[in-house]
Amino acid sequence: MTKTPTSLIESSHEATDLHIRSDLTAAHAHVWEKLAAPGTWWNGSERLAVAEVVRVALGDFDPVPPWDSASKSGRLPNDSVISSELQDAVYRLAVHAGTLTEGWYQKMRDATGVTPQQWVEIIEVTISVASVLRFAQLAGIDSPDFPEPLQGHPTRQTQPSKPAKHHWVPVVHLEDSTPELAPFYAGLPALAPVIRALSSVPAAMDTLFTLGDAQYIPMREMVDLNWTRGTLSRRQIELVAGRLSAHRECFY
Amino acid sequence: MLRASSTANDLELDLDVVRGDLQESGAIQHAPELAALVDASVNDLASLPSARSALVEATDEATMLDAAAVVANFEMMTRIADGTGTRHPADRLESMSELSSSMGLGDFASERA
Repeated sequence: MTKTPTSLIESSHEATDLHIRSDLTAAHAHVWEKLAAPGTWWNGSERLAVAEVVRVALGDFDPVPPWDSASKSGRLPNDSVISSELQDAVYRLAVHAGTLTEGWYQKMRDATGVTPQQWVEIIEVTISVASVLRFAQLAGIDSPDFPEPLQGHPTRQTQPSKPAKHHWVPVVHLEDSTPELAPFYAGLPALAPVIRALSSVPAAMDTLFTLGDAQYIPMREMVDLNWTRGTLSRRQIELVAGRLSAHRECFY
Repeated sequence: MLRASSTANDLELDLDVVRGDLQESGAIQHAPELAALVDASVNDLASLPSARSALVEATDEATMLDAAAVVANFEMMTRIADGTGTRHPADRLESMSELSSSMGLGDFASERA
């Protein structure tokens, strides 16, 4: 019998003597449920094809350099439902995100034909896989398998996104919020640009908030500079965050 | 945020903790063990089990798991920022210019002014 996405995560988290927080298990299960299901702009098989490139890229001990084609290196599936150009873009996002430039983004869009909203959804799939697999690796537990793709069509739900001053991709500004974005925008006087970045695809915002709340700090606690779960202090959390970001050469 | 959370508690913090070799820090408990876990996860997977054990020894399993979760989270945030070309507003860039210079962040390809 095929395992459900949730049971794949639960099996991974329970096959260890470590006690993993139930809210963290639930967050990873939530994004695994979405991983191979029809999304907003991609179907389940296409999302899974993106996820497969991310898994290969993250497990690549000798990654293809950013200026070379991963799809021509023989490391990626050659029967993928996504194009080799898109595979290359996903691979680079997964392992060399700090090298991306606006020029690269424009060329990538020309080569692949993806819309900004489709790219945002690709980022969503990438961060889901990166979060779940990197947590498993750091915690020393088995990585969960990918779920089976679900049939169905993407919702193609649009948002009133507009060109943005602080992003390559268009975003929905606070004053243009929609019912789909209300859970993330409501009551907030402002939203950091990096949080707003995925707003053209509310399902991607859901992934960001679900993972961020469980892995880092609940969004509404962000202003409390002494917030803690009782384990890491806020300063310890920020040390880990800053050090990882520096390794990834992320200026933001 | 590290600077802000230290300042809020009147703690002196050398921000070399983000990029440099780590010594014990009065402002951040178990900084060397936390940094070693992050460093091993990026640069030396063979040493990850020992880094994980050292952190558990210094703290406990729940703390190690939460540190692993924070790393996972910033594997997410860095890809969002760099994949969408997110940049800071001008006033924020200005307020962090001294910090950016001292930490060498201007050398990053991902700097977007």
